[in-house]
Amino acid sequence: MSPRQSHLAIGLVVVAAILAVMLGLLVGAKTLSVETALRVLLAPDGKIESVLVWTLRLPRSLAAVAGGAGLAVSGYILQTLTRNPLADPGITGVTSGAVAPIVCCFVFVPWLSPAFYPFVGLAGGLAAASLTFWVSRGGQGRPLQLALGGVSVSLFLSAITTYVLLLTGPQSASLLFWLAGGFQGRTWSHLFYMLPWTIVGVIGALALRRVIGMFMLSDHAAAGMGLQLGLWKPLILILAVIPVAGVAPVAGPVAFVGLAAPHIARLLRPRGTGFEIGLSVGLGALIVTVADIFARSIALPRELPVGIITALIGGPVFIYLVQRGQLNLAGEAR
Amino acid sequence: MSGPQSIPADAAPIWMFPALVAPAILSLAAAIFLGVADIPLGDVAAVLTGGGAAEARLIILDIRLPRIATGILAGIHFSLAGYLLQTITRNPLADPSLMGVSQGATLSVTIFLLFTVYILEPGSNTLAELPVAWLPAAGLAGGLLAGGVIYLLAFRLGLSALRITLCGVAVGAVLHAVAIGLIAGWGSARIEIILEWLSGSLYARSWDHAVFLLPFTIAGLGMLPVIYRPLMLLQFDVPVARSFGLAYRWQFSVVLIVSCVLAASAVGAVGPVVFVGIIVPHLARLLAGRNFMLSLALTIVLGAVTVTLGDLAGRLLGQAEEIPIGVVTAVFGAPLLLALLRKTM
Repeated sequence: MSPRQSHLAIGLVVVAAILAVMLGLLVGAKTLSVETALRVLLAPDGKIESVLVWTLRLPRSLAAVAGGAGLAVSGYILQTLTRNPLADPGITGVTSGAVAPIVCCFVFVPWLSPAFYPFVGLAGGLAAASLTFWVSRGGQGRPLQLALGGVSVSLFLSAITTYVLLLTGPQSASLLFWLAGGFQGRTWSHLFYMLPWTIVGVIGALALRRVIGMFMLSDHAAAGMGLQLGLWKPLILILAVIPVAGVAPVAGPVAFVGLAAPHIARLLRPRGTGFEIGLSVGLGALIVTVADIFARSIALPRELPVGIITALIGGPVFIYLVQRGQLNLAGEAR
Repeated sequence: MSGPQSIPADAAPIWMFPALVAPAILSLAAAIFLGVADIPLGDVAAVLTGGGAAEARLIILDIRLPRIATGILAGIHFSLAGYLLQTITRNPLADPSLMGVSQGATLSVTIFLLFTVYILEPGSNTLAELPVAWLPAAGLAGGLLAGGVIYLLAFRLGLSALRITLCGVAVGAVLHAVAIGLIAGWGSARIEIILEWLSGSLYARSWDHAVFLLPFTIAGLGMLPVIYRPLMLLQFDVPVARSFGLAYRWQFSVVLIVSCVLAASAVGAVGPVVFVGIIVPHLARLLAGRNFMLSLALTIVLGAVTVTLGDLAGRLLGQAEEIPIGVVTAVFGAPLLLALLRKTM
């Protein structure tokens, strides 16, 4: 793909994402026509349709956009940093690392303002990521080691989370819905609360695209090009966890988006790290928005959590990647 | 991958086995004698010999003993399933709970619990008739289905151990997400029961559970003589094993099925108890060295001991709000597993 085509691809994805958001305004328990949606969108009139669009569907769709973008950029950074195509916030344990302490805070420290949750999530996500990275030697070990390390960390944390939920009793229903991952009932305040974290992640990744790109080389080569690994590795890892820390308190764990979006982006072969990041972010936003529309329209009058939909999309992508053997399967023969 | 073959050659004392039976009996005794309710030693002895007060009889014969029996059987299931899976995938840290079998059982039990709620709701307001006795069977079915998916994938992937494990991880993650999603969407009144089961617990397990598990335990142990030689050969690389006359695909399938049946039935009875299947076989191999038969035997004994002691610890530490065995094994198992992962791979 030439840079021009890459621009075009990103443009198309952005247009598709905008269309998906528009579609999200129409679909739900009450279906709106395009004219109605456009009318109330441009001139809110306080009637039921207007309220539906402005206080329920629009913030929710935009939250899905921001969430998808954040997860995708995190997945992109993690995959590059570990040179492991299977890395993503879910597999490396970052998501459960962010989610488990938030559940604990919610249950044991209920007076803590939710404004602190992203910070709690950041600390937890970083701790979990560090553990997984320690196990898999900086993620540079075999893909299996990273995956098993991350899954072990996740299993451990989810055992703790389940136990805490068990102790919580009746309250656990709302926590569980959050734990399933989704955007039901998310408002403007949720969106604004998540947005800074996503923006820092995306802008940071774009600004540091050269450094991130260098991690695709071996450690030796990166060091040879003058990259201070001891400084940049932890910094880039923090950058990867930041968007997840924003998404987790709002949407809970939404699995496999961080894995799938960068891979689809790479399949299109854009030229250059910046384009890859841009395309991943756009695709992540698109995937989650579409998944959210599915989640609230296929099982009416109930809502499915978005986490189910993304898992059902992302799981096969993961298996396809493994099957295609396009992984750096070092040591498989042994 | 450094598999079972990379174990130090010199550590194979056969006396290890009798030496471990003593702690096993001690832990069994401890599990009978200790508990939230304080029963003097004499009374326990009286109950065990057929006498004793009614209350003591109830606590020991109807609460502690069935619970211990279920725990022992489940422990054997988990550890043996892990051992078999580790041997055939030649991955020292494979485990049914890492590879989707547990999650498959979890999903089907979840569906079962939610579904029966819907069956009962219209007619009667009482949910007491919920046929909880069917839970293990539901878990078994789901675990086997998940195992079947992994089995099919395994053949499509050319029996590559790495790919099978990775696909198992993905299948497990998808099934887990779907289970949590269903609980969140449809859970309502049943959430607490599902959570209780999800945390992997021996709480309120009756003789029914032990009786449910027993045939599978017997079948699993009974298969051991049949799969013993293939298992031993599967420790080697595929070409070497083939040259010793191993029918790889066929034997691989048999061992995988036995492993899935053991794991799925245990998850059905007590819920997902993670890490036992990874840690115990590893520990057994560490103790047994190159002695294959000893490591297999130790896996079985240590599996039973681990779950019995873990459950006892959860009962004593938690007191009224007891800590589920799944949480105990996760808290103790996870650090061990991470250390092993770093060391062995």
